[in-house]
This record gives sequence, structure tokens and C-alpha cells, in this order.
Amino acid sequence: MTHRPAVIPGLALSAMLIACQSAIAAQNEKKPETKPAQAPKQLKLGGPGIEQERSFPKIVSGKWTGPKLADGQPDVQGHWSNTIANHNNFTDPQGGILNDPNPNRVAKGARELRAPSRVSDPVDGQVPFQPWALEKVKEFQANFHNPVKPEYVEPLARCAPAGIPKSLYWHGYEINQYPGYVLFQFNSGTRIIHLDGKPHLPDNIKLWNGDSRGHWEGNTLVVDVANHNGKALFGRSGEFISENGHIQERYIFSNDGKRYTYEALLTDPTVYTRPFTITVPARKWTAKDQPNGWHFEVEPATHAGKETILDQYERICAENNGSFGLGAVEQAKK
Amino acid sequence: MNTTPNSDQDLKSTGIPFGASLPKPGLELPSTSTDRTTFSGGITKPARLQDIAMLTGGILLLLIMSIGSAFAANKKIPRLASGKPDFSGIWQTTSAADYDLEPHANRKDAPPGAGIVEGHYLPYLPKALEQKKKNFEARATDDPALKGYTLGVPRGIYYPEPFQIFQRKQDLTLVHQFGHSVRTIHTDGTDHPKDPYDWWLGDSRAHWEGDTLVVDVKHFNDKTWFDRAGNFHSDALHVIEKWAFLDPNTIEYKATVEDPNVFTRPWNISVILYRHREKNFQLIEDYRFTLDYDQYYPPKPNKP
Repeated sequence: MTHRPAVIPGLALSAMLIACQSAIAAQNEKKPETKPAQAPKQLKLGGPGIEQERSFPKIVSGKWTGPKLADGQPDVQGHWSNTIANHNNFTDPQGGILNDPNPNRVAKGARELRAPSRVSDPVDGQVPFQPWALEKVKEFQANFHNPVKPEYVEPLARCAPAGIPKSLYWHGYEINQYPGYVLFQFNSGTRIIHLDGKPHLPDNIKLWNGDSRGHWEGNTLVVDVANHNGKALFGRSGEFISENGHIQERYIFSNDGKRYTYEALLTDPTVYTRPFTITVPARKWTAKDQPNGWHFEVEPATHAGKETILDQYERICAENNGSFGLGAVEQAKK
Repeated sequence: MNTTPNSDQDLKSTGIPFGASLPKPGLELPSTSTDRTTFSGGITKPARLQDIAMLTGGILLLLIMSIGSAFAANKKIPRLASGKPDFSGIWQTTSAADYDLEPHANRKDAPPGAGIVEGHYLPYLPKALEQKKKNFEARATDDPALKGYTLGVPRGIYYPEPFQIFQRKQDLTLVHQFGHSVRTIHTDGTDHPKDPYDWWLGDSRAHWEGDTLVVDVKHFNDKTWFDRAGNFHSDALHVIEKWAFLDPNTIEYKATVEDPNVFTRPWNISVILYRHREKNFQLIEDYRFTLDYDQYYPPKPNKP
């Protein structure tokens, strides 16, 4: 039995984060470093790296003309990931680390040359936080790399599920569909979207991934998410929703099956001054793409036939407990 | 959802082909030269022909139904469009297997159970038996399940929390409520990877033997236990599972376990899994390893 290190592709959580954040940072941001941003340029899709696009097409809700499953759902099964950087920065995805006194990544180029904020309404791209909540977010940002209190450790570093919406711009993920269900398999947590008409769980049950009820409207999967525990942050930049929050999601798929746009309305009277909308672009990855360690963590399966069948190995985190803020905590113990 | 098979599938599973030779009662047969158009009024031959056809059809239908009842258990098994058994649903054991695979009287930390091992006892190598005894003594602190981590195979199947099977032609995806385990069983003819990693849940490749799903699972790590009593394995663990319906709401789960580093020979277990049929029953995520730091999130207002 071989004992390769636990650096499995599905788990960049461990591999990418544990030891050398700065080295990883350099790797992930290689592209912008070697090619300083001069003009807005459409980056080539299909390569590795977490930053891909500076802009993305808008997909509108409407009819679905693509293939359907036997139960009538649009067939959108497969491997997906977001196209504009990861969870480092929620409102300026390619903008480096916010408010860190010793940032190991900085924004490259002018703001307008980087991808837009994930906050699409209000137009200033900022989360309409109440003053107390904004204060907490800034506190988290400033302490992220030196977490002197447990609450400055990003929960994802403790192998908690990434939650909503962060799961959609963390690593690549798989969407499977079944009569009555859409199943999202994320690198940290699995999400079952019920299309079966069952009611939400009682409201005192709070969950990392919430409780999801969905239905299809043409090309759009509409999902109502309740029962949030409010503990999953939206990124290293610390944005959050509380237990009183409500999220209404729309996954709008393009009819060529290549992309979808995620639009979600977040409402929470205890944290925000008004409801706001976020937008996350996503693309599909297929056997024609090169696997990579971030968006498309697959390997060709062993079989006699000629076509490529992809294996996605187990998504697990518990054995990799560590890193991020938690790495600093453990270092301090020594 | 998938628990109610349609009538086509019922008939198919009797082994009698369903289709053209069965006239549906009430439908007219195709017209012949002795059609009613050649006569006017009165009782016509075609009408009698229709009666006979209906009668014959009815008898045939009765015959099929009676044969069908002989295969009652079989005919109600939910099936995929491909004809293979469809295990979709939420399942759970009622056995005490997770407390101890072997026969055990009650303990402070476990209800009694007759065990689920064929032959009752696990065939440990002498050195491994010593380790098992150590594990047993330290079970209150050392059982990996206490951390809320992935339970492995087969433990995840007979751990007393529900798991949901999502099934397609090419695979089954098992989502366990406990921890964050999600396991894929491949039914697409692919084989184990040639140069694999070690996984918590191993690598599962399956084929069908009649209506039985036979799963070969290997490439495990050595971090999981078989139960709370400290029964354990090495990374040489190899499990062959057999999944078969006893009836539409009951699965007989069997597994052959071998591990030459720990056991003198392969051994067999068997448990029954029951379908959850409570109204609105669903999995509720159980990330219990996050409870220790639950208090730190979400952010709360600073005290003035």
C-alpha cells in the first residue's frame, strides 16, 4: 500500500494551505506577477490558477433549450467552478488581502482592471453592513494572519463547511442531479437541494449549509435557503450573515451548458441595513480541460474503453485540520 | 419517489414480457372484412369477436397477475430506467453493531448485542489482538468517531445515523449524516486507480450480480476503527460488499473483510438496513467536530 502524502487533489485545503502560505500565494498569483496588468484582457480559460477572468457574460433567466433529464430537469451535471479568483477577498476578488498590517498579497493594477465585486447591488460593491458588523469584519481582517482570539480563525481552516455562498468560489465542485434532488459536492461539505416539496426544517435547527428547497424555472434553479447557523464566513475578508439571515438563490444556466451565473439575495435585519445581491460567475469543466489543483480536481479513471471517464476522489477535510489562522495558533503553542 | 415502481416495471420483473400480445380490455380489435359496416343493426360477429378478445385478454391479465404474486418481493423492488435495483433513499441500521461487532453483554457504554460477525469472533493475529485490547481499554478517548471524523467502510453503513443513497446508472453517491462523509460507488465499469492514494472511505468499484450490487473497496488509510470497541484494521484493508433488497424497504448488507496485517483470514458481517419512511424525514448535517469552537461564530456585537 502506497503512502503518498495526504496532498490529494481534492484537498487543496491541506496541501495549499498548511505550510507555506507565501509560496502558495506566489504560485496562485504567478500570472499577474509575470504579466503585470496593463490592459483589460480576457484570460485564457482552462489553465490552472484561481484568477481567470476580469469580466464575465451576463446570463439571463429564460427558457431551457439544452438537454433534459428523464425527470424533466435541465441536465447541468458535471464539474463546475467560479471564474474570478477565490475567497481571499469578497468585494474585490482579485484585489489582495484587506486591512492586513503585513499583507503577503497585494492588488495588482487598478481596481477597474480587476474583476468586479461579488456584491452587484448596491452598485458601490460593498456589503451594506450595520456599523457594529462592519467593525467586526475589519477586526477579523486585521487579525487574520495573527489570530490572537479564536474568532479570528477562519472556520474553514477548522474543516467546517465553507457554507453559503463561499462554497461556490472556494474550489471546484460537482453537481449531480436525481429525481427530486440536486446534489452539490463541495470540497468541504455536501449540499442537498430538495426539489421534493418537503417543508423547511423547524427554525431552531441551524446548519452550516442551511436548509435548501429548490425548483426549476426554465434555465434557472431557484433555491430558498433557511436555517443558517451564520458561522461560515464569506471569505478571508470576514463578511458574514447571522442566524436570522435568509438567502434566495438563482442559478441561471446558459443553454449551451457551459456556464451559469449565481445570483443571491441576502436579507438579514440584524447585520445589514438592507437586502443586497451578490453575483458569482461559474463555468463547467469537462474531459477536454486539463485537470488542475484548484478548479478541476479530477483524474482519468482506469478502464478498458477509449473515452475519458473522470474520477473525483473523496472530499474530506478532517485529517487536514490546521492552517490559516489555526496554523498560527498551533505555532504559538510550541 | 423511487419507492413506487410503475406497473411496467412490475410486469417486467415477473419475467413475462409486457407488450403487444396483450389487448387492452375495452379497445376494439382492428377491423376485418366482417366489419359492422357490412351489416346494419342487430348483434354482429365483430362485436362477439370483441367480447372474446376482451375475455382472453382478461384471462391473460389474471394469469400474469397470479404469476406476479409469486414474485411479490421481487416485483416491488424499485428499479432504475436501466432495470437495475434502485437503492435511492435514506437508510439506517437498528443493530448494535457499532458498539461492538462481536457478541457483547451490556456495558456502561453500550447496549448488549449478539454481534454481526459470522462465527461471532474476529480472527485476530496475536499481535493485533493485543492492540485491539489496548484500543478497547482506551475506547472512551481513542475512538476516531468521537472526533466526528469520517467513519470509513463498513462502519459508516452500520453506524446508528442515517445515510442517503443517490443513485444514477453510472454511480451511487452515499451521503452520511455523520461527519461530512460522501462516498462514490462507481458502477460504470471503471476499475481501481493504478497508483492510488489512501483514502478514509477507500475506493469503491462495483458490478451487478443479478440484483445484487457487489462492491470492491480498497486503498484505505489506517485511521478508522470498525466499532466503538476498538476493532481495527491497517491500510491493507480490503472490503467486498454485497447490497441486495429483501423487500422494497429493506436492504441486506453483507461484507467480507480482509486485512492480512491484522487478521488470520477474511471474515464476514451482515446487517439489515431499513428505509426511513417518516413523513418529511431528511438528513440533517452533523458536523460535530465543529461544536468545540461553535461559540466563536458568527461575530457578535462588541460590548459597549
